[in-house]
Amino acid sequence: MPVVRVKRPPEDNNVFLLVAGYFVEIIKGMKLTISIFFRQLLGREKTNTLEWPEQPATYGDRFKGKHFLTLRDDGEIRCTACFLCATACPADCIHIEAAQHPDNNIEKYPTRFEIDILRCVFCGMCEEACPVDAIRLGPEYTMAGLAGEKWVYTKDYLAKREVLDGGITSVKKENDKHPTIDDPSATNQHSHLRHGVH
Amino acid sequence: MSKSLTIDDRHYTATDGQTVIEVATANDIYIPHFCWHSGLSVAGVCRFCMVEVEGRPKLEIACNLPVVDGMVVRTQSEQVKNAHKWALEFHLINHPLDCPICDQAGECGLQDYYMQVGKYPAQMTQPKVLKPKNLDVGNDLILDTERCILCSRCVRFEEEVTKTSALGIFDRGDRSIIGVYGDAKIEHNYTTNLVDICPVGAFTSKDFRFKKRVWFTEDVKTICPGCATGCSIDVAHNADLNRYYRVTPRYSEVNGHWMCNFGRTMYEHLNVENRLLTSYRRDSATGKLTKSTIITVLAELHQQLVNAQQRIALLVSSQYTNEEYRVLFDYFVSKIGVTDVYLWRSKDEDTETFDGILMRGDRNANSRGLVKVLADFKIEARADFDSLLVGDYQLVVALTPEIFATFDRAIDDQLVELAKLPFVSLWANDRRVLDFSWTQVVSTKCFIEKQGSFTNYNDQQRSLEQPVSPISGEIKDLGEIIELLTNVSRSEVACQ
Repeated sequence: MPVVRVKRPPEDNNVFLLVAGYFVEIIKGMKLTISIFFRQLLGREKTNTLEWPEQPATYGDRFKGKHFLTLRDDGEIRCTACFLCATACPADCIHIEAAQHPDNNIEKYPTRFEIDILRCVFCGMCEEACPVDAIRLGPEYTMAGLAGEKWVYTKDYLAKREVLDGGITSVKKENDKHPTIDDPSATNQHSHLRHGVH
Repeated sequence: MSKSLTIDDRHYTATDGQTVIEVATANDIYIPHFCWHSGLSVAGVCRFCMVEVEGRPKLEIACNLPVVDGMVVRTQSEQVKNAHKWALEFHLINHPLDCPICDQAGECGLQDYYMQVGKYPAQMTQPKVLKPKNLDVGNDLILDTERCILCSRCVRFEEEVTKTSALGIFDRGDRSIIGVYGDAKIEHNYTTNLVDICPVGAFTSKDFRFKKRVWFTEDVKTICPGCATGCSIDVAHNADLNRYYRVTPRYSEVNGHWMCNFGRTMYEHLNVENRLLTSYRRDSATGKLTKSTIITVLAELHQQLVNAQQRIALLVSSQYTNEEYRVLFDYFVSKIGVTDVYLWRSKDEDTETFDGILMRGDRNANSRGLVKVLADFKIEARADFDSLLVGDYQLVVALTPEIFATFDRAIDDQLVELAKLPFVSLWANDRRVLDFSWTQVVSTKCFIEKQGSFTNYNDQQRSLEQPVSPISGEIKDLGEIIELLTNVSRSEVACQ
């Protein structure tokens, strides 16, 4: 059986020097701390900390915080109620009810779009699944509230809450493959079927 | 005379006149197709079911290729795959690709084949041809001519199955569209089959439109309780919400590929807003129906069974399963000794009518089954509702029809009359019975929650295949209710 020789550290007899060195480092550190404290107190150096929540802290646009729904150019909601976000959601927190839109070119839109924020895990998969840039996770991160508050975000809240300043427009514009049926070039082809178009 | 052929290096036999796609489908070899449908004639317009036949220079369409003895067919060669790829791209030239708002997404031929054989970026640089969208063309039908790939299944269905010929293909080339003639609407009772056979989202159902994405539902295999035909159906069910969304036909020898629009409403009474979720009894102090438990109600019923001294009538509708009837009569007729059994039928029904396709005038799922069980128990049942009302009974046990829609408006009058009787134990599943004043109401299961069988007009016993869990724990089928009732009477005996 092979023998493994372990090299032990030598017996340390010079304990005093070690302890003395320790105190020296502490004094050096305290010197730095105290000097910065007085420099900032006298206003000779800028502080890096914030007095949150009195002072607001903002994150970049890529932060995955509170959701919002984007709008079309005319201010209508961009979402087409395709349910892809609800399908992708691992927490099962998106509830959509779809209906026929009075405008034939939009065809389908959500009458209800609700996010149960207590279930949401902020994974951002809804954002990734959306084919029309209708849902995004924004930079808002303060979501604390009292127990009595509503934790289900409604369609209006998601699209037009105060912070959004009238709403944010989607980068995916209205599909130009489908101009209105009332467009003359389209109806000329099928004038005998126009009665059915509503 | 049988013929032998080879498909993908395996030998099969075919009968005279069979086509390659029929043999392949019968042997679980899948040949992609759009226009071919086993319930319709061959059109050969989609050019998608291409197969390679040894010794022939070009690819052939399998749907219109009669089997020749000794034929060698390949469905997976490079040439065939290439043909599929280009045929698919051809179909997609003017397709709007609006899958996110299309109801067919999830069960669409174009989507499935794109994932199977496509996955290429579109090479078409010309703008797409625009066509009319969202047209109301009749009963339960919305037509989107842009999504249509002109497979002509709907046109052939109209010509061959319903023989109404209401649809046609208009214009030529890439401007061709499916449409109705002039202002006509398709009004017959089989329109939603067009939605089923449409391989893309050109026809969508008004009733199901935008209600639920199909991938959130699972099909429950069962039998349609809408009339005496008893078609095989699938009911789309979401287990998380315990809700039902639509009814689609399932192939069987009884109904073929089709079913009627009336049968497609058979999911409505299953949903929670139309159901009785618990038992009720009349509160002796206020005289109003109040929520109760099934044990309390059945104890009260047992007491009345003892008190009524044989002035008992049993009123039964023909919409329960054979197995339930046996348990029911075994208790009430053999044990209790009830002799007055009445059938609960609609006053204005015409049981002999038949529309020539599937739907029968007898809207009760199990009329034949009930007749057989009654004969086995040697009971003479009377269909005379009026003599029940004047029969001076101290207890009427009434089993309501499960589906009020099969009775049209007649059932309201019957419920009004029945509610005037002194002691009625009503066994029902529909919430609408709460509008009337009963002594007690026992909540029962619906067909989709039961295990059992219906006997159809042709004396075929058809079993309800997979029962789903009931919408509430307080609802029972007749077998469970009778078992509880027996236990109640046993415990009374034990107490004495």
